[in-house]
Amino acid sequence: MTSAIAIRIVEMLPAVPAVPMADVVEATSHWWAGFILWCPLISLALCGLCAAFRVKSKLPAWITVLSLACSFVLTIILGNLEDVPERIQLFEWISVDWVGGSFVANFALYIDSLTILWMSFVTGLGTLIALYASEYMETDVGKGYARFFSGVSAFLFAMGCLVMGDNLLMLYLGWEGVGFASYWLIGYYYRRPAAVAAAKKAFIVNRIGDLGLALAIYLIWSTFGTVQYNELITHLDAGTFAASYEHWSVEAIPYLLMLAAFGKSAQLPLYVWLPDAMEGPTPVSALIHAATMVTAGIYLIARMYPFFLLEPTSLHVVAWVGGLTALLAATIGMAQYDIKRIFAYSTVSQLGYMFLGLGVLTTYGASYHVFTHAFFKAVLFLAAGAVMHGFAGQLDLRKLSGLRRMKGWRIVAWTMFIGCVCLAGFPFTSGYFSKDAILAEAFVTQGPGFEALGWIAIFTAFLTAYYTFRVWCRVCAGPVHFEPGDELHDDGHHDEEHEFHPHAPRFAINFVLVVIALGALLASVPYFMTNEVSEIKGGWIADMVNDSTAAAGIPGHEEHPGTIAHDAGHAHHGSILGMDPHVAMYWISGVVGGIGLFLAFWLHLWRRQDADRLRSWLLARAWIRWLPVAMENKWYVDEVYHALVRAPLWLLGHIAYGFDRYIVDGLLVDGTARLPRLIARWFQPLQNGLLQSYAVTMAGGAALITLLMVLMMQFFEGGSVQ
Amino acid sequence: MIEKLWFVIPEAVLLVGVVVVAILGLVRSGQIRNRVPWVAMAFVIGCGVAYPFVFTETAVSESTSLLPGLGRPMGLVACVVGVCLVFMTIGRIDRRYEQAIAEGRDRFDPLRSNRGEYYVFFLLSLAGLMLTCSANDLIWLFLALELTSLPTYVMVAMSRSSRRAQEAAMKYFFLGAMSAAMFLYGFSLLYAATGTVELTEMREILTAQAAEGGISMLAVVGMMLALLGIGFKLAAAPMHLYAADVYEGAAVHVTAVLGFIPKAAGAVAFMLLLSTMGWFDGSTLPLPILILLWVMAVLTMTLGNVAALLQRSVKRMLAYSSISHSGYLLIGIIAGPGLGFSAVILYLFVYGLANTGAFAVLASLEREGREIESVEDLAGLRQKHPGSAIALAISSGSLLGFPPLLGFWGKLALFIAGIASGHIVLVLIAGVNSAISAWYYLRLVGLPLMSEPSERSETIDRVAVPWPRFAAIGIAAAMVVLPIFLAGIQDETDVPLPPDTADVVATHESGDQDASGL
Repeated sequence: MTSAIAIRIVEMLPAVPAVPMADVVEATSHWWAGFILWCPLISLALCGLCAAFRVKSKLPAWITVLSLACSFVLTIILGNLEDVPERIQLFEWISVDWVGGSFVANFALYIDSLTILWMSFVTGLGTLIALYASEYMETDVGKGYARFFSGVSAFLFAMGCLVMGDNLLMLYLGWEGVGFASYWLIGYYYRRPAAVAAAKKAFIVNRIGDLGLALAIYLIWSTFGTVQYNELITHLDAGTFAASYEHWSVEAIPYLLMLAAFGKSAQLPLYVWLPDAMEGPTPVSALIHAATMVTAGIYLIARMYPFFLLEPTSLHVVAWVGGLTALLAATIGMAQYDIKRIFAYSTVSQLGYMFLGLGVLTTYGASYHVFTHAFFKAVLFLAAGAVMHGFAGQLDLRKLSGLRRMKGWRIVAWTMFIGCVCLAGFPFTSGYFSKDAILAEAFVTQGPGFEALGWIAIFTAFLTAYYTFRVWCRVCAGPVHFEPGDELHDDGHHDEEHEFHPHAPRFAINFVLVVIALGALLASVPYFMTNEVSEIKGGWIADMVNDSTAAAGIPGHEEHPGTIAHDAGHAHHGSILGMDPHVAMYWISGVVGGIGLFLAFWLHLWRRQDADRLRSWLLARAWIRWLPVAMENKWYVDEVYHALVRAPLWLLGHIAYGFDRYIVDGLLVDGTARLPRLIARWFQPLQNGLLQSYAVTMAGGAALITLLMVLMMQFFEGGSVQ
Repeated sequence: MIEKLWFVIPEAVLLVGVVVVAILGLVRSGQIRNRVPWVAMAFVIGCGVAYPFVFTETAVSESTSLLPGLGRPMGLVACVVGVCLVFMTIGRIDRRYEQAIAEGRDRFDPLRSNRGEYYVFFLLSLAGLMLTCSANDLIWLFLALELTSLPTYVMVAMSRSSRRAQEAAMKYFFLGAMSAAMFLYGFSLLYAATGTVELTEMREILTAQAAEGGISMLAVVGMMLALLGIGFKLAAAPMHLYAADVYEGAAVHVTAVLGFIPKAAGAVAFMLLLSTMGWFDGSTLPLPILILLWVMAVLTMTLGNVAALLQRSVKRMLAYSSISHSGYLLIGIIAGPGLGFSAVILYLFVYGLANTGAFAVLASLEREGREIESVEDLAGLRQKHPGSAIALAISSGSLLGFPPLLGFWGKLALFIAGIASGHIVLVLIAGVNSAISAWYYLRLVGLPLMSEPSERSETIDRVAVPWPRFAAIGIAAAMVVLPIFLAGIQDETDVPLPPDTADVVATHESGDQDASGL
């Protein structure tokens, strides 16, 4: 593999002027880091074999857990070894050179602290959730068990490519891979029409975003001539290609990347797939649709942050879309009854916060929130999953109550409580610190209406506290009462007469819940740790973001060439109620969260009849009636999309179908297709199966051609040729 | 002479294999006879292993032959595809007779058994292909080409007991003899024009002639006849007429061999012969030869493709499609040493695998004890034999050149070579032909996967031996997985430029625009 230039046209001319590698170290000795990717891939293959040989045990789960644990350990080792960005080449993949340029995309890893941050919780939570799933999915052992775990392994491999890839093409591979794995796992219960529809919806909506990513990669490549991060960053840092900064594509790239991020991370207007994605098994919802995959959009923007800094308006758009999504999703979440759906809308809402953070120039806040959210949202989903598992699919919060008083359910109830306080941003929990970092920065950074955006975000924090504890108070507190769902398993509850006994979670589920809940609590620790950048708190997480390509979004980071006047904004240093935003936010956010929490306890624990009374009071008033109705119906967004997007497309599709069928197929294709076949018929007599005629045709053809050539030579050159 | 002997060590391994297999095939013990394919495969693998040790960088650089870099990549490709070709026949050759012996219904009669013989002829043919690569004079080239072809005539004849196989073998033999006569005549004219049979010397003499004002017409006509005659091995127009009948008449596993080994030998012979007459110091081929190759390429791919459109028999369809692939190969040959020749070797690898995969699927299925004939018989194959259906779909997708699959990269390399050497129109014609070929290749994808089974396709069964099926599935998996290791494959199939040959492409860029007008 020394000088393998895959499709070599001209070796002599280097495509682009040699670019000095910034600080990126080529670390060939760390080839073992490739096993962070290969482990899930091997597990995928083994689980596939288990499926093929119809293994009727929990073997696929143990394979997956073990291999993901290996990935996790390797990630941690890798993270502790190096703190500089490094490139680890695994093998040459695509490398095309020609005179005017090149397209190089190797199967290589780009390891910087952002990568490690992401991979640590992706593989760590992946391992734990796979362990959880080993018990959760046990009723499917021998049926879909291996299929499920192959899907999880495939997802982890794709996510690894997405996060660790050294170029945009690998990112794209991972991006499509996680999309496919998500489709695979949402549609896991493929006999249920709702699950199939949800899988299709997720895939199709994601395709819209993927289009943006594909175009963005193409534009980046055509503008900068490379898709490799280290070269791109070097170009942007060094200010080479200065002329191309004027180019329209430089303005277009952030918006296209944004489209991709909004699709994958479920933001306005593409968020509609995520709530439906809860049709998949709960571990999938926890892993893919809450903790990891949906944060890929934030990763993309953080990784490509230098491009966004070239076009400041794009960051304003990111901020506003994030803020509005957070608000919209929170209002919908308030009025839902399905626990998983509430958490799904809450995920959309929290992702909105993260985009708000990116938009207001705190990549640290966004990344920290990604990190803490991964833990507490995973714990919430897993607790909901335990409930669903135990109560035969029951998820309606009106039909469950008093879980914490039931035998065997205490761990579920209290880990869920931990998840809830973190999500609600209760003071001194992890969610409190990470959310405040974003909220405060909305007041600090100058931008169009950022202050209003800050207040919207604070209001959303209030709503979050309310709907989070609405769930907990209804399900876990209060008098014991439950109705089983309609998904009775075949394990002894067969006859309807038989009294229903919820089966409490056993070791695997409880263990994972406790570990992740502890993780959610401990995720606040980094905030108190010391770090190198003095301006902000945040310990190693801040350091990690600061060492990566997302660094420009950290206050105090030295000025980037080509960045917008970030420090100018800081010089002005916005204020809130006359106080420094960072300080004020501790108080505001605590108070706001407290109010939401109090409301939830009042309406859903102490005086539950008040909640019903409030609802009927609202519904009775014509002037306010629309509000709860619209919230319960998810603001009719699906219906609006149906009317505005699906119906016109349906019409267009039928018109196109008619055109294709009668004009293109009927007239053009069949007409054209007749031509070659006509020619073929014309030659067919030659193919009559007779040896003599073949010999004559062959010899005659050869003679004819030779004769023609000789005559031509005579005619042109008089006997000699060159 | 010593040098030549050194470079035929891999072939010697195969010839030892020939002897061993011939003896083992006649052993009375049925168990040992069952091992014969494995032994043959072991020798092919051994031959492949020998290549890196024989064709070391120093040995190649010291070699005085015309294209010293050609032997190793072509030999390795031949070994890999050869292993697949053996794999798909394990347990298939002489199956009924062996079964009858095993069940005690029949007695072993060395005269009637041909399990050993098949592999003997196969290994000889493969050795012929490898010897073609190391040819450095016309006599050697002729002998090697005939060593490639002659065993295949016998293989066709003995592959099936039906009359059609006999008829096919007859046609193949007579027409093959005619083509051999044609290219021998061409060789003699070349000898007359240059006074040597050594290819290296011939190149020097023709270079001198070209420098003095022009290559003599005798040499050009000799070259034309040689190319047309060897075109028979490639199944290139106008020498392609035999292909459909012969491919259809032979048993499936022999058709797979015919689709690869003679074709590869023909392509190698083309490269060797043309290197004597063109690409001196960056010039292109003499115009008449270039026009001849153009005509052959365009006719071959177009006739192959349009004829394939009409076929209802699977084997005939694949036969015509393999003709069109020869047309694509000619693009790489026209593009010349460097990119072009490397692309040809890569394409031979890619095409050889996909072709073997498609035929392996056919070899793994039968209906009422006979081979599958019509394309419609494959309708709804997925429902009963999902593995075979998917393997067939992937193999034909690869033959079509569908993007992520291996076939796409082979075609891409050929087309890039064509464009880089300035033959854009030729590449456009090939592109149109690829589009036409989609029609019949996609039928092989769509019909098995998406159609409802018909009455006839319901009766399709698996062949009792599993190996053809394993071969088909393995090759299909390779089609999907290998593109990841594309760079490594291209390293192996790269034909380094001979020291005195300038890169056609590089010089083309520097202003030689003669060919682009075509």
